[in-house]
Amino acid sequence: MKLLTRYNRVNLLTTIIVMLITGIIYYQAISLILTKQLDKDLVVEENEIFDYVRSNNRLPQVFESNDQQITFTEAQPGTVNRQFINTLYRNRERDEEDRPKRHRHRHEDRFESGRGLISSVTAGNKYYKILIVESKVETEDLIQIIFGITAGVILLLLVTLFITNRLLLNRLWQPFYDLLKELRLFNVTDKKEIPLEKTNIDEFEELNQAIISMSARVKSDYKELKTFTENASHELLTPIAVINSKLDTLIQTESFSPQQSKLLNDLYSSVSKLTRLNQSLLLLVKIENRLLDGKERIDLKLQIEELLMQFEEIFLDKDLKITYAPGEKELITSTYLIDILLNNLLSNAIRHNYKGGSINIKLTEESLVIQNTGDETALADDYIFTRFHKSTESEGSGLGLTISRQICQNLKFTLNYSYNTPYHTFTVIF
Amino acid sequence: MYPKLSLYIYCRKINQVFPPTGEEILRWLMKILIIEDEKGLRESIEEYFMEAGNICETASSFQEAMSKVSLYSYDCILLDITLPGGTGIEILKYLKQNDNTDGVLIISAKNSLDDRLEGLDLGADDYLVKPFHLSELRARVTAIIRRKTFNGSNLLVFNEINIDLLAKTVKVNSQAVKLTRKEYALLLYFLANKGKVVSKNAIAEHLWGDGMDLANNFDFIYSHIKNLRKKLMEAGSNDYIQAAYGMGYKFTSQ
Repeated sequence: MKLLTRYNRVNLLTTIIVMLITGIIYYQAISLILTKQLDKDLVVEENEIFDYVRSNNRLPQVFESNDQQITFTEAQPGTVNRQFINTLYRNRERDEEDRPKRHRHRHEDRFESGRGLISSVTAGNKYYKILIVESKVETEDLIQIIFGITAGVILLLLVTLFITNRLLLNRLWQPFYDLLKELRLFNVTDKKEIPLEKTNIDEFEELNQAIISMSARVKSDYKELKTFTENASHELLTPIAVINSKLDTLIQTESFSPQQSKLLNDLYSSVSKLTRLNQSLLLLVKIENRLLDGKERIDLKLQIEELLMQFEEIFLDKDLKITYAPGEKELITSTYLIDILLNNLLSNAIRHNYKGGSINIKLTEESLVIQNTGDETALADDYIFTRFHKSTESEGSGLGLTISRQICQNLKFTLNYSYNTPYHTFTVIF
Repeated sequence: MYPKLSLYIYCRKINQVFPPTGEEILRWLMKILIIEDEKGLRESIEEYFMEAGNICETASSFQEAMSKVSLYSYDCILLDITLPGGTGIEILKYLKQNDNTDGVLIISAKNSLDDRLEGLDLGADDYLVKPFHLSELRARVTAIIRRKTFNGSNLLVFNEINIDLLAKTVKVNSQAVKLTRKEYALLLYFLANKGKVVSKNAIAEHLWGDGMDLANNFDFIYSHIKNLRKKLMEAGSNDYIQAAYGMGYKFTSQ
């Protein structure tokens, strides 16, 4: 859910609730005040009756006026409690006024809500119950108008709130969206700073500052790591270089026994394995950190042909039968990475093959398939891509497939393994 | 390009015309400077290049290297990038500023493309990543000197073997020998390292690069060498290639 939607939802809901509560209180308050006003009028009327009775010792003539009705009924003395009641007001006068319209209902009385006062008076030795009823119609009209206006104001307020929120928030959050866009593009290997727009909102300014310092920290950490990797490689490779050069110097000295030359040969191959291992590790780190990228146009068909030519003698030596089904495929990426990928996959197909085996290579627009004969059991495809996983008799570094998969990941390809007797199949899907 | 003074003196000494013809290339003494802080490596390189007539000088620090390159001229400078007191890049910049035409081969443990490009942009002739075989180093240095010093001469002569470097053709006396790409590269490699035992690993790495770890043994190198030897001898050349104790091969006229 978008922040704006969420905010709007909460905001509008609370506004409506608060407005409703306010409306209710408002209504109650107004009706209370108006009722008080009516009560006052009733008391005035009551007093007038009392005055009349006191001076004339009889009941006043009953007449109707001003939405007021007074009735006297005889009652047992002392049975009447003075009280205000909400009651109905029977409207006759209005009917008459409305006669043309309400012609047929002439005899029907219209009842309106009214406010009444029950009181008592003694006139001419008789005890009377007084009921004074006043119509509340005008009061209610007033309340209705007030309520209507209030509701209108609420509605207007809601609409304004909604629109301003929408406009204002969108604009207010603009720096945030800009920042988000920049963060998405953030690349730790990039040397340029994140370009941030100046904003006069403190929170966003703080966020910008935090991001600037964070990216600087990340970059410096990354640089340190890179320096460390480089230093480690230098420190490691130099002794290896010394060993290598000493071996090269050693074999210049004359005459070795067969045993000595075998020892030297073993030393040579171990040193070269060590070298390759170290270089593979460094390469993997570099690929993982996406330090290697390029945008060259690569004709994959040609690339594979060159590689096959490079390995020609090795195929002959192992008596391997190569079937190559070339297709047209062009990539725009780093030649170096593609070189390593192809080299690793093909090396694998050669290394795990037996003498007189075969390798099938098929290139299409969508995929590159490399099949090779080898051991007659499928490899555990969960593990073959992990670091240093290799068969016991393998002479490789155990990093070849890890590097291949990492390259495929970087280039947004998929690398899959499957086994269908008698072929182990690696498929690169572009 | 100005001729190298040392070459000129050498030619005078042996009564040769200057510049020397291709025949002289392999007899030519090299004057090289090894700038490398690692003592073991420096000594090995020095020993490998040191032979009758060659002049090898060494520098183990930035200051030492700077004083040598500013005073003397070399056919080839082997330059390590990380040095105590400075970097090889600074030395390269200095050489470029002074229009120094010495050949420069960077030897570095740094194998990133950027470093490589930076070095080559600054005028280095080649870039070799540590660790390397001395025979590979020698082949590269020879190639650089050949390019730099014997400007215009594309002919390489070793006794009765004539190689046209531009056309990539080989003749024994005047009879053409048809070599495969790899055999041709192998022959050049041997010539650059003549008189030295070259290990099978080094040959495999030179010819097959990264693919060389595929073969558990180097039998297929043997068949290559056998073919090269056969072709040369059939064309009338002497047998120069000797096996050396099962570890490698030696190209020698002795």
